[in-house]
Amino acid sequence: MLLETIKKDFIQYKAQAEPGEFLTLREAAFAEFEKLGFPTTKHEEWKYTNLKSITDNTFQSTCEIKSLVNELFNASIESKLTANFLVFVNGSLVNELSKIIEKDNSIVISSLATSRKNNQAIFNQHFGKYAKVEGQAMNALNTALLSDGAFVFVPKGKTVVHPVVIFNISDASDLNVLAQPRNLIVVEEQSTLTIVETYYATGTNASFTNVVTETYAGKSAHVEHYKIQQQAGACYQNNFTQFFQEADTNINHVTLTLDGTLVRNNLHFYMNGENCNSLLYGLYVTDNKDLVDNHTRVDHAKPNCFSDEKYKGILKGHSTAVFNGKIMVHLDAQKTNAYQRNQNILLSDDATVNTKPQLEIFADDVKCTHGATVGELDEESMFYLRSRGIPEDVARKLLLTAYAVDIAEKIKIPELVELLEQKIDGKL
Amino acid sequence: MLEIKDLKAEIEGKKILNGINLVVKPGEVHAIMGPNGAGKSTLSAVLAGRADYAVTGGEVSFNGKDLLEMSPEDRAREGVFLAFQYPVEIPGVSTTNFLKTAINEKRKYLGLEPMEATAFLKFMREKMELMEMDKALTSRSLNEGFSGGEKKRNEVFQMAMLEPKLTIMDETDSGLDIDALRLVSAGVNKLKDGERSFVVITHYQRLLDYIVPDFVHVLYKGRIVKSGDASLAKELEAKGYDWIKAEVEQEANA
Ligand SMILES: Nc1ncnc2c1ncn2[C@@H]1O[C@H](COP(=O)(O)OP(=O)(O)OP(=O)(O)O)[C@@H](O)[C@H]1O
Ligand SMILES: [Mg+2]
Repeated sequence: MLLETIKKDFIQYKAQAEPGEFLTLREAAFAEFEKLGFPTTKHEEWKYTNLKSITDNTFQSTCEIKSLVNELFNASIESKLTANFLVFVNGSLVNELSKIIEKDNSIVISSLATSRKNNQAIFNQHFGKYAKVEGQAMNALNTALLSDGAFVFVPKGKTVVHPVVIFNISDASDLNVLAQPRNLIVVEEQSTLTIVETYYATGTNASFTNVVTETYAGKSAHVEHYKIQQQAGACYQNNFTQFFQEADTNINHVTLTLDGTLVRNNLHFYMNGENCNSLLYGLYVTDNKDLVDNHTRVDHAKPNCFSDEKYKGILKGHSTAVFNGKIMVHLDAQKTNAYQRNQNILLSDDATVNTKPQLEIFADDVKCTHGATVGELDEESMFYLRSRGIPEDVARKLLLTAYAVDIAEKIKIPELVELLEQKIDGKL
Repeated sequence: MLEIKDLKAEIEGKKILNGINLVVKPGEVHAIMGPNGAGKSTLSAVLAGRADYAVTGGEVSFNGKDLLEMSPEDRAREGVFLAFQYPVEIPGVSTTNFLKTAINEKRKYLGLEPMEATAFLKFMREKMELMEMDKALTSRSLNEGFSGGEKKRNEVFQMAMLEPKLTIMDETDSGLDIDALRLVSAGVNKLKDGERSFVVITHYQRLLDYIVPDFVHVLYKGRIVKSGDASLAKELEAKGYDWIKAEVEQEANA
């Protein structure tokens, strides 16, 4: 049982932890987790996503690092980028593979553990301030038992020239592993940053990743954030990403889920100022008995903000997809524009989609639209292509690729898009 | 080339084609006219292999092969081309990639090597010039956001690229301006070599001024009720369909 391991882990952590604010925070988080327990399908938010296969199993935290990890990293598409790399294996930083090429010393790209010492003020100002722990068992668990993670700080008016790749590997070659990465990204006023958050796995045992990423975007900041999940094997992941936006910020987020036994993504945006733009795009390609669950929430808390959300799925085998898109338009968020679409293509009769828009609108002068479709490939398009001599399987692939690439192309790194397109093509 | 014998087809239990007979020999141009809802598009769709229609009787042979037995892609690769009345928009698939795939799939089917990339592009440029296709159009997604006329022109451009033995044009002239009409006709006439055949579905005589038909047929209530030479089209233009409908009713009552 996972719960017992976790309790032991926390006792062990407490025994060697230095007293202070950080420990107090984590103790409170652990108390919250103990109070809530793991979410079950009785919770409305977890109705379709059963964590039993995780909670009935045992997973261990480990910091041992094997050489095969280097090969995995070097073979990855992300490693080909000209970028800053922070590489984590089972939640611990791998120094040999991490590499910072950014020249400006005022920009901090480091591990969370390091930043807690070197950038204490910023850390204390932002850590745990955006991703809620109350009522969020998995966030509470992460806060209490976080391993390590990325810390990025971009001071006012700076542009980070190269993307920051947060490269996570679950190495389950010896045992079932548990990693709880925790990322903190602070982008101050008028600054620009691109983050590529990516997940791989190796080994024949199971892995469970419970990650929390908090991003603070100061006034007029621009953040590009891409999440690429391709953990093959018995891999479970709960991913919580919280954006906190001040006025005039632009955030473009893309989630690509190309593999994983169970992936639950929680993507939250909180607009704390006017004239924010939030773009949320997602693509999931599922197969076998895999389950991919995207729960998104956009809080339009201030007037004149825009959000556009488009999630697309391609389902094969006995897989399941869940989409739940909550848009909260607060009382004084007049002139809100919020768009949401979820489209699904089922390539198998045994695949299932549960999709639900959830609009809660408390302001009266707003424009919100949503729509969800579940279906097969467009018959008319198929016939058109076939009538030109393109065989059925080739035509299907052309259409599926076009459908998927529409999302992949929201990523503004052309080299990465090209490589991802090949990857997606191979999955179809 | 094409031999249609007593072809009957229906959709959702509704009989639409009620025994079509038509023989198209190599090099011939046939025009099919007829009032709205007569079954002209249905005939073209059945020939191209659209699955929505159930063929309930009759035979179609194409160069000696049973056309109705073949998948839509095989029909195309055997040399049948349908210029759609309503071409679909396919976002995300570029015209270039689409045509390269179509041409190479056809070549594969015929046991030929794929076309070299440079040869393909040269070939495509030639045909683009012929059809006065703007480069901006072919670099975009297939038909996406194209105007009605641009879509029709794109159909004929595809025909020029695929060089079919039999082209069926379903109202390709509808919605074309005068210049585009001339281009479309030029595209067809350029392809004419005494071997290739054309079935041109149209409502208007004006197209037939450019593409002169050897035969004109009138389709009405799922049957070819009258056939003649090019002068029949002129007569229809002048008199409309009422006299033909009356003739058909008379025969039915007799
Ligand atoms: N999917 C369908 N379901 C029911 N009826 C259909 C369907 N498709 C076509 N029909 C009917 O079949 C008949 C023939 O249609 P068709 O499109 O072949 O006519 P057409 O001769 O091409 O007409 P037009 O000149 O207007 O293009 C019409 O009455 C039409 O309503
Ligand atoms: Mg028609």
